[in-house]
Amino acid sequence: MEAGSCGPPPGCPPGVEERPFRSASGEPLALRRRQHSASCRELALRRPRLQLRSLSAVTSAVWLAAYGVFVLSENSMVLSAAIFITLIGLIIYLHFVKIDQESLLVIGSLGIQLTSSYASGKESTTFIEMSRVKDVVINEAIYMQKVIYYLCILLKDPQDPQGVSEVVPLFQSSQPRLDCLMEVYKSCQEILDQRKEAPQSSGIK
Amino acid sequence: MAPRRSAGGSGAEMAAGGRAARGAAAAQSVCMVSDFFYPNMGGVESHIYQLSQCLIERGHKVLVVTHAYGGRRGVRYLSNGLKVYYLPLRVMYNQSTATTLFHSLPLLRCIFLRERVSVVHAHSSFSAMAHDALFHAKTMGLRTVFTDHSLFGFADVSSVLTNKLLTVSLCDTNHIICVSYTSKENTVLRAALDPRIVSVIPNAVDPTDFTPDPSRRDDGTVTIVVVSRLVYRKGIDLLSGIIPELCQKYPELHFLVGGEGPKRIVLEEVRERYQLHDRVRLLGALEHQDVRNVLVQGHIFLNTSLTEAFCMAIVEAASCGLQVVSTKVGGIPEVLPENLIILCEPSVKSLCDGLEKAIAQLRSGTLPSPEAVHNKVKTFYTWRDVAERTEKVYERVAGEKVLPMNERLDRLISHCGPVTGYIFALLAVLNFLFLVFLRWMTPDSIIDVAIDATGPKGAWTKQYFSGKKGRVKEEPPIS
Repeated sequence: MEAGSCGPPPGCPPGVEERPFRSASGEPLALRRRQHSASCRELALRRPRLQLRSLSAVTSAVWLAAYGVFVLSENSMVLSAAIFITLIGLIIYLHFVKIDQESLLVIGSLGIQLTSSYASGKESTTFIEMSRVKDVVINEAIYMQKVIYYLCILLKDPQDPQGVSEVVPLFQSSQPRLDCLMEVYKSCQEILDQRKEAPQSSGIK
Repeated sequence: MAPRRSAGGSGAEMAAGGRAARGAAAAQSVCMVSDFFYPNMGGVESHIYQLSQCLIERGHKVLVVTHAYGGRRGVRYLSNGLKVYYLPLRVMYNQSTATTLFHSLPLLRCIFLRERVSVVHAHSSFSAMAHDALFHAKTMGLRTVFTDHSLFGFADVSSVLTNKLLTVSLCDTNHIICVSYTSKENTVLRAALDPRIVSVIPNAVDPTDFTPDPSRRDDGTVTIVVVSRLVYRKGIDLLSGIIPELCQKYPELHFLVGGEGPKRIVLEEVRERYQLHDRVRLLGALEHQDVRNVLVQGHIFLNTSLTEAFCMAIVEAASCGLQVVSTKVGGIPEVLPENLIILCEPSVKSLCDGLEKAIAQLRSGTLPSPEAVHNKVKTFYTWRDVAERTEKVYERVAGEKVLPMNERLDRLISHCGPVTGYIFALLAVLNFLFLVFLRWMTPDSIIDVAIDATGPKGAWTKQYFSGKKGRVKEEPPIS
């Protein structure tokens, strides 16, 4: 899907821009950008929600298999176990695995906040102070049976100012393609560049 | 984001010495594949690296695919933006990966597509990954080139099996390169090839890495240097016979042996038995950058190999100004002119005679000066010349058609024998079906095209990024 620019889509508040992209595996993604101020920007990647069709298909497959085992073994416990396992599996999947949205809040003077929103409504948040951020870069990695681009934050090494102590990958669940990563990268770099230029401008004043 | 230069793209942003300036044929996107690459050290590794650098200099896009070495996995960049993929594949034996012929297809397909590869250049008969890559590249309809760096026998079981595998691999490969005419004869016979699709392009040496330094020699003694892996194939058993015989005859003779391997114990036993601790130094494994510092300490270089396709070591030694004494095996007689090498039969007596002749010449002062030898050798084998000749092979291959599936199956069946032919024809069909499945699962269109990092203006340089950042800043802020 081409990343053609578009204005605020229906249901989007003003000051918010949403553009369609695709992930490395081809599933549709939506990149929502919101500019809170000149040095504060939020970028959120939304993935498709869990489809009732796919959920029904998986449930039916598990229950059919269980019914087959029940026919062979004539043990009704198999059917009960299948229902129980399906429900427990679904809860675990929605609460710990299925991520609906990953967002990146970049505040020039403060830091970067990473948020993952799970399908169950649970959110996990990580905050990185701006003083620890060395740079935001696009890197390449071999992931499973493919080579993908990914965005990551390089953290400064306290001992070595030139070194990198840690690499924090972003959007690990959605795995957007390069065109989408470039958009996020540019947005982050604009704020990071402002931060680098700020001390110089204040010195001139 | 589209690549900055496609496989056949314009040469506007290539190196000044690149093909745009020369107005040559279209630039290729070349994928070098082998199990043997840095940080592993050896002739094949050095060949791939140096050839890649010279091809980049000539305006081509080059990437290397090898297996992971310890913690070195993923995508790395070397000088001039040479991109190296260290794939997480299991090593089976002697740095060669285990193969099922299918498990590497998804990853190699992804690399070939994202890098827009036009030529797959595989190296070394011993590399399983090289054979895999050739097989997959043909299935994907890419042009293929293979460089054979080794000589093989015909009689023993391992040679028979390897030769059969080579026949399968090379019967539908576009072009084959050998490092010597002896190697070409050997490969043509082993793989039953048409000699017209086999070229001879020798190895080379970087003369700036191997310069003479006569001040490092001890002229009160005669030092014979041996630098090789201490394995049977390198004739270490011959060396163990030569050392005591010559040390007994010449009290001022010293041996300097660099290298490591299972045959080291044989040399240690000889040193122990004949009490030669002060005259035979075993240096152990050497880093590539240390080889020159060892060579320049000697007067004579001894090579006792039992089989050798080209032998880089004797060129390196001659470049350092040493008199070379070597066994007359494989492609060695083609490597240096007669006045720079003394050739011997692979026997203790013949090698001792050759060394005595060299010692006599050294004593009488009839050997040419190290500088003169170096100046002569540095014109023989240069990587730029190797790259130019390899480029001609790529140009020839680019004009050839890749066999469609039906013709490929016919070729396999007719060329590889009734049993092997049908087995590998079946594997080729399965490989094609697997490729169709992968294309359905992950269509070619959704695989990102890699940013071209190669060359002096590639994405690995600061200039590229500063240019990009400038462009980023010019864009209006998002409101």
